[in-house]
Amino acid sequence: MSRNSIKILQGALVCEESKLRGDITIGTGTIIHPSATILAEAGPIIIGDCCLIEEQVKIIHRLPFDQQDKENTPVLIIGSHNVFEVDCHVEAPKIGNYNVFESKSFVGNKVTVTNGCIIGAGCKVTQEQILKENVIIYGHDCHMREGLDRPGLQTLQMETLSKMLPNYHHIRKPNKKN
Amino acid sequence: MAHVVGPEVVKYACTCGLLKSISSLYFCRYCCQLRCGFCVCHEVDSHFCGKCCENLPSSEARLKKNRCGNCYICPSCQQELSTRIGSKGPSNPEDPKSTPKKMYYLSCLYCRWSSRDVGIPDQSAATGGWPDRENVNANRLQEIIEMYKAMVLAEKQQKEKDKKKQRGKYLSYTDRTGVTAAALRKRIGLPVDIQHSLLKAKPKEPEPAIAKEDVEDLPEELLTKPVNLTEVTTIEQRLLQIDLQPTTVEKLFPVHKQLSIKRSLRCRSCEHNVSKPEYNPNSVKFKIQLFAYYHVPEIRIVTVEPLRAGRPSELIIKFTNPTQHQTTITILSLVLSGDENEVKEETGDQPSLPQEKQPPSLSSQPSSLLSLSSRQPSITIKPRPVSQEVNADVAIPSSKVILPPRDDAAEYDDSGDTHNIQDDPKLVVWRKSNKAFVKLLVTPKQGLALNTEIVAGFTMQHIYTNTIATTVENREPDKHDHNIRVFLTLGNLVGFD
Repeated sequence: MSRNSIKILQGALVCEESKLRGDITIGTGTIIHPSATILAEAGPIIIGDCCLIEEQVKIIHRLPFDQQDKENTPVLIIGSHNVFEVDCHVEAPKIGNYNVFESKSFVGNKVTVTNGCIIGAGCKVTQEQILKENVIIYGHDCHMREGLDRPGLQTLQMETLSKMLPNYHHIRKPNKKN
Repeated sequence: MAHVVGPEVVKYACTCGLLKSISSLYFCRYCCQLRCGFCVCHEVDSHFCGKCCENLPSSEARLKKNRCGNCYICPSCQQELSTRIGSKGPSNPEDPKSTPKKMYYLSCLYCRWSSRDVGIPDQSAATGGWPDRENVNANRLQEIIEMYKAMVLAEKQQKEKDKKKQRGKYLSYTDRTGVTAAALRKRIGLPVDIQHSLLKAKPKEPEPAIAKEDVEDLPEELLTKPVNLTEVTTIEQRLLQIDLQPTTVEKLFPVHKQLSIKRSLRCRSCEHNVSKPEYNPNSVKFKIQLFAYYHVPEIRIVTVEPLRAGRPSELIIKFTNPTQHQTTITILSLVLSGDENEVKEETGDQPSLPQEKQPPSLSSQPSSLLSLSSRQPSITIKPRPVSQEVNADVAIPSSKVILPPRDDAAEYDDSGDTHNIQDDPKLVVWRKSNKAFVKLLVTPKQGLALNTEIVAGFTMQHIYTNTIATTVENREPDKHDHNIRVFLTLGNLVGFD
């Protein structure tokens, strides 16, 4: 991927110091902190609305080795209201809505994340699988349990951030009208 | 602490024969011996809840089955549950402007389990009122407990008849700290649960359990349906609620948090405390802390040359004097087969002790003869031989090392050391304030295989200055030699180059 083409929709807050490579579309209300890394290596990444991407987060669109020779370029679609906490590393090929990736978690590139899932702090998920809705992975041994409901929204936090971040960081200008 | 002195390459032999790092050893000032967690008496000082820091007297803790009444842990992941607020509709449905009614529920911040998951209704008060489930076997258990209590009582009465009842040696300290309802009832003589069973002459035996022949059939769906692991509880989750042992996750209920204890440690030979914490659960300080780290010179390995079988290698170790008194360290050869003196002292054979090693507390004994009965060793500990194999020889130096007292201000003093110590330059490589680097020669034994772990040992004799003011006329702090066997794990044997 030689050329960067970053599309930032109106209302998104993307810090200048974040590292964005490749073809990336960022939806309304999404906040990307400085030093977050989003690499669209294998194909474009489309991030939905109101996602929170914190510091040191790595979102990498990279295909497994056995799928790399395919003709069509896959698109990584990340749904809305996802929270990527500090230093999580996500390579999932598909992410739904309302998911939480807690700090220092790792999601491999064979794991499809549906809706309302929580990957607990420090948990590593690499085995090829489709996570069911509202699945919670937690603990040292990556225990899995099914939650009753999707996790709560981070509205308050995001409101504060959207006020605070522009005071201390350079913000990329939205370049796309929706 | 452990990570400061770790990895555990330097081990001290406790008086009981176990090898421990200095951070896990105690030093009894009265017997002048090392003690470890296995050769001291552990006593429960106080019960407290680690979450709300509430101090409970032991009787109340017993009544509550050693669990906190207000705090809960998550039945799913055993972390503490926190109370969260969820608003639920306005308090007055007719008036739309009224403030929303606050409802409280329990939630685990770790695995996101919440009391709503299992259908526990939200509470209107923050401090609980959470429903406690009755144990289905509660009556049966109560019956059995009562029977055993009655049996204990009957046995006690029998003993009392035979001879006078011996008073317990120690009172539980938690009973003294506060007067609880239960303790008060006891004091004014109202019936506490044991009391009424006194009237019964013979313990009433509950109905014996009857074995059943017909058991439930194995549900067929276990074999036909795929198992959904997210619905089945783990062994840990089941054993957390031992009275119910739920098999599915919808039967998990919050569990009362288990109380923690503060304990004091007591030397078994002289029954002085070696460690005693403060009562307050918020405090992490100690009233008495006779840790070996504060009394015994600390040894650390600085460098060691590659170890080759039969060849001497240079080993540099650092001695640190933690006390406020100057000490002299002599390195002696290791005696593995147990010191004669130690054996005698351990068996409580006090008159045969050498005069200079006599513990100061014993010298003042004639005045405290009354307390002698309680001062006698509760349990005589037979020292075990040290099981550590030593496969390297240490060349024993002829000279001694003097360590100046610890001076906390010396760290910030640039004027250099004022101690004029004539050192043997072959032995002491470098010194600063209360530390000294000492060079030793270690020779691994001949004929060892490659990659064998080399363990060297020696006896460190240091002068211990006892500061306990024992008698009025004896103002001089008495000094005596104290021998400690030290084992150093130096690394693996390498080949010849």
